Amino acid sequence: MLAACAGIILVGMAMVAPPQRVDDAADAMIAERAHDILVSRCLRCHGGVREQAGLNLAWRDRALQTRTKGPPAIIPGNAAASALLTRVLHDDPELRMPAEGPALSADEVATLRAWIDAGAVYPVLWSLRPIEEQMPAPAPESLWNTHGIDRAVSLRLASAGIPLPSEAAPESLVRRAALDITGLPPDAALVSAYVADPSPAQWERTVDALLASPAFGERWARVWLDLARYADTKGYEKDARRDVWRFRDWLIDAWNSDMPYDQFTERVIAGDLLPGATENDRIATTFHRLTLTNDEGGTDNEEFRVAAVMDRSVTTWLAWMGTSMQCVQCHAHPYDTIDHRDYYAALAYFNQTADADRDDDSPLLHVAWERGTTTVPVMQELPASEQRATNVFTRGNWRALGDAVAPSTPACFPPQGTQRSDRLGLAQWIMDPANPRAARVEANRIWETIFGRGLVETLEDFGEAGTRPSDVVLLDFVASRLQKLGWSRKALIGEIVKSRTYRVSAQPSDAALRIDPDNRMMSRAPRFRLEAEAIRDQSLAVAGLLDRTMHGPPVFPHQPDGTWMVVYSGDGWTTSEGGDRYRRAIYTFWRRSSPHPSLMNFDAVSRETCTVRRIRTNTPLAALAAMNDPTFVEAAAAFAQRAINATPGASDTERARWMLSAALVRTPRHEECARLAQLVAGERAAATTATQPASELSVWSAAAATIMNLDEFLSRT
Amino acid sequence: MVATPAEYMAELQAMTRRQFLGNSAWGIGGVALAAMLGSEKSAHANTVSLPPAGSAIDPLMVRAPHFAARAKRVIFIHLAGAPSQHELFDWKPALVRHHGQPCPDELLKGEHFAFIKGHPTLLGTPYKFARHGRSGQELSELIPHLASVADDLCIVKSCTTDQFNHAPAQLLLHTGDPRFGGASMGSWLTYGLGSEASELPGFVVLVSGDKTPDAGKSVWGSGFLPGAFQGVQCRASGDPVLYVKNPEGVDRAARRRMLDALQDLNSMAVASAADPETDARIAQYELAFRMQASVPDAMDISHEDAATLEAYGATPGKASFANNCLLARRLSERGVRFVQLFDWGWDAHGTSATDDILTQLPKKCQESDRPVAALINDLRQRGLLDETLIVWGGEFGRTPMAEFRDGKKDFFGRDHHPHCFTVLLAGGGCNAGTTYGETDDLGCRVVRDPVPVKDLQATILHLLGLDHRRLAYRHAGLERHLTGVTPDARVHSGLIA
Repeated sequence: MLAACAGIILVGMAMVAPPQRVDDAADAMIAERAHDILVSRCLRCHGGVREQAGLNLAWRDRALQTRTKGPPAIIPGNAAASALLTRVLHDDPELRMPAEGPALSADEVATLRAWIDAGAVYPVLWSLRPIEEQMPAPAPESLWNTHGIDRAVSLRLASAGIPLPSEAAPESLVRRAALDITGLPPDAALVSAYVADPSPAQWERTVDALLASPAFGERWARVWLDLARYADTKGYEKDARRDVWRFRDWLIDAWNSDMPYDQFTERVIAGDLLPGATENDRIATTFHRLTLTNDEGGTDNEEFRVAAVMDRSVTTWLAWMGTSMQCVQCHAHPYDTIDHRDYYAALAYFNQTADADRDDDSPLLHVAWERGTTTVPVMQELPASEQRATNVFTRGNWRALGDAVAPSTPACFPPQGTQRSDRLGLAQWIMDPANPRAARVEANRIWETIFGRGLVETLEDFGEAGTRPSDVVLLDFVASRLQKLGWSRKALIGEIVKSRTYRVSAQPSDAALRIDPDNRMMSRAPRFRLEAEAIRDQSLAVAGLLDRTMHGPPVFPHQPDGTWMVVYSGDGWTTSEGGDRYRRAIYTFWRRSSPHPSLMNFDAVSRETCTVRRIRTNTPLAALAAMNDPTFVEAAAAFAQRAINATPGASDTERARWMLSAALVRTPRHEECARLAQLVAGERAAATTATQPASELSVWSAAAATIMNLDEFLSRT
Repeated sequence: MVATPAEYMAELQAMTRRQFLGNSAWGIGGVALAAMLGSEKSAHANTVSLPPAGSAIDPLMVRAPHFAARAKRVIFIHLAGAPSQHELFDWKPALVRHHGQPCPDELLKGEHFAFIKGHPTLLGTPYKFARHGRSGQELSELIPHLASVADDLCIVKSCTTDQFNHAPAQLLLHTGDPRFGGASMGSWLTYGLGSEASELPGFVVLVSGDKTPDAGKSVWGSGFLPGAFQGVQCRASGDPVLYVKNPEGVDRAARRRMLDALQDLNSMAVASAADPETDARIAQYELAFRMQASVPDAMDISHEDAATLEAYGATPGKASFANNCLLARRLSERGVRFVQLFDWGWDAHGTSATDDILTQLPKKCQESDRPVAALINDLRQRGLLDETLIVWGGEFGRTPMAEFRDGKKDFFGRDHHPHCFTVLLAGGGCNAGTTYGETDDLGCRVVRDPVPVKDLQATILHLLGLDHRRLAYRHAGLERHLTGVTPDARVHSGLIA
C-alpha cells in the first residue's frame, strides 16, 4: 500500500518536475496551468502568427516588453499593473479579452494573477525536460512487477480502481504479435507450439522468432516509407518514374539487421558525410532525395530546388523531433518559441547539396545488383568553393531575400555542443543524449505502431499545441529504455511485446468501460483495423498466394483499368505476371499522383509529403474494396480451394470450422461454423440447376469471402 | 468559444464512445445534438488536434453551417489547362488594334514566363464579341449557348493567382496551397457540412478529356483532413466507382446472403465488446451494399428523356464532358454536396493544331458550351439553381502576347498568365447578370476589384454559409484553413446577390 502511494505521488510529481520543494512544486503547477490558459485562449491571436496589437505571449521576453500603448502585458510580481490582467477583467465586453469565446472564469483569472505575482516564470515544455529514467514504482501485484511498462500501467489502473486485466487466449496472442511484428498472420507451427506450452519462456521464444523473421523489416519499413514520402515517381505534373527502390530495400535491411537508431539517423540524414562512407551509407541518403522533382516545362529549377530543401528540413524536424516547422516558413511559430529566422537557420543545414531539381535527378549513385546496375539519386555536398549562402525569405517568399543565416537549431531546444555545422552535425545533435525529444518521439512512434495510438496522440506535434502524454512516466520509461538498449528498436519492440500489458485480453471489464472508455490507461488490448498493407498481405497469406520474394524493383499487381490517366505521358500500368502479382504490398509500384486505389481506400497516403500518422477512417469505399477488389476476390477463391484440398470429404460444418480457424487463428464456436455452413447450403441451392450441380469452388468462395470481410479478420484484436 | 469542426468532431467521437460504452439510451442523433448545443469546448484547445484514430460516427453526417447559406451545394467545373479569357470573355479592342506589335516593355518588367522567350508580340483575338441578354454581358462568338444564359452568369474578370505552372496553380485553386498536402475545397465542404446524399459519396469527381488534371488526384484529395472527406471519382466506363461492382458470379441476391452471414458472424464475435468503432466499421458494409445500387442508378443517364439528352448533347454510355454535366445535375438532385468536373485540353499554347486558338479552342468550346448552358437551364427548371452554385474556370489566365514557341509562327496560342483570368459563377445566390472586376486595356493586369484565388474560395464558402476563418482544422501545430494560414482573404459582396 505504501508502495502504491509512493507511485501515485511519483506520477503527480513527474507532471511538474523538476522542482522538489513543496512551494516550488505548487508554483510550477500554477505556471503549468497559467501557461495552458495562454496557449488555449490567447496565442491564437497573440502568438507567432498574428501578434495582434503587436503582442506575442508565446515568448516570455516579448510578453514582458514595454509597449507603446499602455503597460506591458506582463509585469512579473505585479499582476495588478499587468495589462494581461486588466484586459481579461475589463468591464467593457468590447475590450475584454479573450476577444473570442467566453470570458475567463474566476478560477482562471486567479491562476493568472497568482502566476504573475509569483514572477510569471514560463514552464519548460514537458517534451524538452530531461527524460526521467527511473524504474516506475513497484506494482500492486507481483505478476506486474517485472516489467517497467507493467508497473506503470498497473499502478495507473489500480489507482483508478480498475481491476488488472487478464491475459488473452494463447492463439489470439500469437496472431496479434505476428501482425504487429511482421504484418502477416502467424505460421501454424508457431501457434501450436505456444498453445501447447503457453509459458513465459515459450512466449519469449515466440516473440524472438517473429523478430528474427525477414518479414519484420518489411512491416516496420512501411512506417518509415510514409515518413520518407517514398514513391516510385517524381511528383508534380509529369510524375515520371524514378528508380529509388534500392532505398526501400536498404530500409527493410536496416530494420532486419537492427541498425541502432543513432546510426540509422546519421546514415539517413548524412550518410554521405560519414568518414569512409560506404555504398549503403550513400543509398541511405536517398531518404532526402525523395522530395518531388518538377519536370514541367518552364519551371524555375531554383524555385523547386528551394522547395525540396525546405521539405528536407521540415521532414527532418517532423519525423525525428515531432516539431512542425512548415508554418515557420512565413512567420514565427504560432504556439512554440520558434522564430521565423530559426526556420532558415535550420534549413541552412540542407542547403549545400549538389542536386538542383534537374530532370535527370543528378547526382546519382550507380549501384550494381543481380540483374545489372541501377542508379539512385543521393545526397552529395557541394565543394567548399561552391557553397551557397542561406537567407531568410521575407514572408516565406523565396525571391524576397532577407538576412543571411548560418546553420543552427532553434534556441528552445538543447544547445549545440561541439557538433559540425553540416548535416552530419545536425544528425549527431538530434541523437545526442542531451536531446530528450528524439528518444521520446521514436519510442512514442513504436508504441503507436503497436497499440494503434501513441502515448502522445499527436505524433506530429510534441510542442505546446500537441496533446500531452497520457502517461508521462510510462513514456519516459519507454524512451529511456530505447536509449539504454543502445538505440535498438528491435529490442524495444521485443520488450513491449513481451510485457504483460501487451498480452492482456481485448475484452474490457465493466469497470474498464466505465472508468477508461477511451482505453487511455491500457485497461484492455486495443482493437483496431489493420493498415492497408497488412489487409492485402494477410488475405494473400491466408489464401496461400503470397509470394515472399524480398527486395527488387516495384511490382504491378492488379489495378482497375483506367486508374492511371497521366498528363503528357504514355506511361501505363502493365500488370505483373506470375508471383510478382502476389508480393507484399510494400513492393507495389507507388505513383504519387495516383497511388494504388485499393490501398488508398484503407487510408494509405499519397506520399507527396512526410506523413507521420495515418488517420484511420471507416467508409463504404473500404468495404467495397474488401468485397470486390479482384485481388481479394482471387484470394477468397484460392482460400476456398485450399480449404477443399485440406478437408476432403468433410461435412460443411467441419470445413467451415477449418476455414474460420485458419483465418482467425482461434477455435471457432459451433454457432459460427453452423452459420457459415448455412450460407454454403444456401449458395449451393441457389447455384444448382436441373442439369448441373453447383460448383463447390464457387460455393466455398462465398464462404471464404465472407470470412475475409469479418471485422475480426480485418482487425488487430 | 465556438468549437472548430475538428474540435467538434473529436468531442463528438469522445462523447459517442462514452455514451455507447455507458449503455446510454441516447442515439447518435441525440449525442450529436448535445455536442452541437453544448459546443463550449472544455478547457484546452491544445488537447485537440486531429480526431482520435478511428471514427465512431458517420463523418458525412449533415452539420449546420455557420450562418444562413445561399447555396446548399457546388458544381465546380474546372477547365484544366486554363481557357483563354481573351478569346471568351475579356474583350480588348486595343489588343486587336495593336495585334502583331511588340509587347510594351512595362508589361514585361520582372515578368517570368513558362515558355515565352525573347520579346513577344501582342496577340489580338480573332473572335467577335457581342452583348447578350437583359444584362448586356459581353461574350464571344465561341460560346453562343453560354451567351443565351448571360443573365444567369456572374462574370468575374479579375481573378488572380500567384502560380504560373499547371500543377501548383491547380493545387492553389482547389486546396489553397500550391504545394501538395492540402485539403481540397470539396473535402473542406463535406468536412464542414457533411452530405445529404446518404447512399452516395458526398464529394464526387467526374473527369473528361482522357486525362486527370496535371496535379493528379491531389486536387480532389483530402490532404491533412481524414480520408473520409476525399473526392470519389465516378467514371463513365468500367465501374462507376472503383470496386462498386460485384465480382463475376455474385449477383445482388448472393451479395445480400453473404452480407447477412457477415452480419450474423460479426455479431457473434463482437456481441460483448460493444465497441462503437467496430459497430461503425460493420455499418459501412450495409452502406456499401446500398451504394452498389444507388451509384449505378445515379450514373445511368439512359432513362433521361430525349429532350434532356439533346439539350446537353449527352450520349448514354459514352465518356464525355456533356455526360458529366448531366451527371452533375443528377448527383446534385440526390444531395451530393460537391460535384467536381475536370475537363482536360484547354492549354492552348499554339505549338500545333492540337493546342491552337484557331482549332483546338473552338473544338473545346463546342464540346463544353452547350452542356454548361443546358446544366444551368436544367437546374433552373427543376428549382435547383438557386441552391446550387456553379463555378466555371481554369487555374490561371493566358497572356495577351502570342507564344510562338521556338520562334515558329505557324499556329496561334498564348502562354500561362497568373495576373488575371476570368471565372464564371451561376446560381447559388451569386450576383447573376453582372460583370465583376476589370483588367487594363491590353487585358494584362487587373485594374479594379482584384479577386485573388483565396478571396474566390472565401466567397464560395460564404455562399455555402461558412466563415472561411471558422472552418478550421488543427494540423501539425497549425490552424489550417482553405484560404491559408493568414487571415487576409476576404468575401467579395459584389459577387453575391
